[in-house]
Amino acid sequence: MNQLRISFAMAAVVLAAGTLAGCSGGGGATAADAAAKSTPAASPSQPDPGYAALAKLPDWSGVWEPAMFARPGAPPPPPPGPPKLTPQYAKQFDGFQAKNRTTPGLNFVSSVANCVPPGLPVSMTQPYPIEFLFTPGRVTVMIESYSMFRRIYTDGSPLPANDQLDPSYQGTSVGHWEGDTLVVETAGILPETSPLNGINGHSDQLKITERMRLIDPDTLEIATTRADPTVFTEPYTTTARYARHRDWKIMEYVCAQNNHDALDEHGNPAFSLERKPGE
Amino acid sequence: MIRAALLSIAAVFAATSASAHHSTAMFEWGKEKSIDGTIDKWEWTQPHTFVWLVVPGSGGKVQQWGFEGMSPSWLGRRGWNIRTLTRGDKVKLVYYPLRDGRQGGFFVRITLPDGKTLQALPGGGGPPPPTSTSGAR
Repeated sequence: MNQLRISFAMAAVVLAAGTLAGCSGGGGATAADAAAKSTPAASPSQPDPGYAALAKLPDWSGVWEPAMFARPGAPPPPPPGPPKLTPQYAKQFDGFQAKNRTTPGLNFVSSVANCVPPGLPVSMTQPYPIEFLFTPGRVTVMIESYSMFRRIYTDGSPLPANDQLDPSYQGTSVGHWEGDTLVVETAGILPETSPLNGINGHSDQLKITERMRLIDPDTLEIATTRADPTVFTEPYTTTARYARHRDWKIMEYVCAQNNHDALDEHGNPAFSLERKPGE
Repeated sequence: MIRAALLSIAAVFAATSASAHHSTAMFEWGKEKSIDGTIDKWEWTQPHTFVWLVVPGSGGKVQQWGFEGMSPSWLGRRGWNIRTLTRGDKVKLVYYPLRDGRQGGFFVRITLPDGKTLQALPGGGGPPPPTSTSGAR
């Protein structure tokens, strides 16, 4: 990973130098040319940095739409039984389920309505598509909703210990291929995020394991296991399916552009009919 | 028409909130109402599109109504764009009303001045509010 990072960093410096030099006129262009000649990535004599190996990976190109609106080739598997939870979280989850029966929809009250993005793994099953980019030593997931991305190192890097991670919404991920299945492990997810609908919060011990594979040419399946002993008394796995759209592209998503749905002062769902200033 | 049929089928698989980021509890989801009016503004914005409609009221006064819709990315993949609606267009708009009685809701489909109807949601109440424990949102 470090070697790659250094070569990319060098390339970036060269590009930056070229741009700056470009602003200063002809003399700068000569300097940029000289720098380009010394860049390892620019030389055809350098060994392949790993792009040839990418051809052996399965074809995950295109954009993948979660099955809630899409029609994947295979129907979703039956939902799993309820999660086995510690008493504190069982109470929270049971309350969520009960409220869902009496007032459907009212439960979906969270900071997400105020444009704070969901964390992993809820971020992977939004009603908007995702895309996978394969580059040497890395898989990048572009998540349309909230314009998020995930960086999954596949270069053999170990998952750092929890106390070495700075928490983030999508956490820190490493992955490896088992045949045509990408196995991804993630830790370092912000504790205020939701690991499962109906459960708010978790500890810094939350670890997500995802097994991603094609189950037919245009259906991707991701089995997601959540482990956090403070929340789940045993790991809990759900499975999501995605339909391929080769002609789609990931679009921009800026939640704060025109959000009328922020929570009210009591934390309840609200809906503003105020028009934007100046109208 | 085919598109509408596909969307209806899609509703079968729906198990999530219609909107990516908030509850649908403020709307009477699935209870279709219809209103005729004139487009005042069409906002092709995230996280939701908006239709501001001017509707004749009693005594010659006009009322303003506001309707939220699916996002530009969602609608854009289903035939809508920023030019779909223009200020001054007279339209028929089908929507799920706000529960609190204010003049607004979530739009389901819109019939344009040329008689063409564009579907913005599967309709029939789908997609339903989330009830599953699958982690889908």
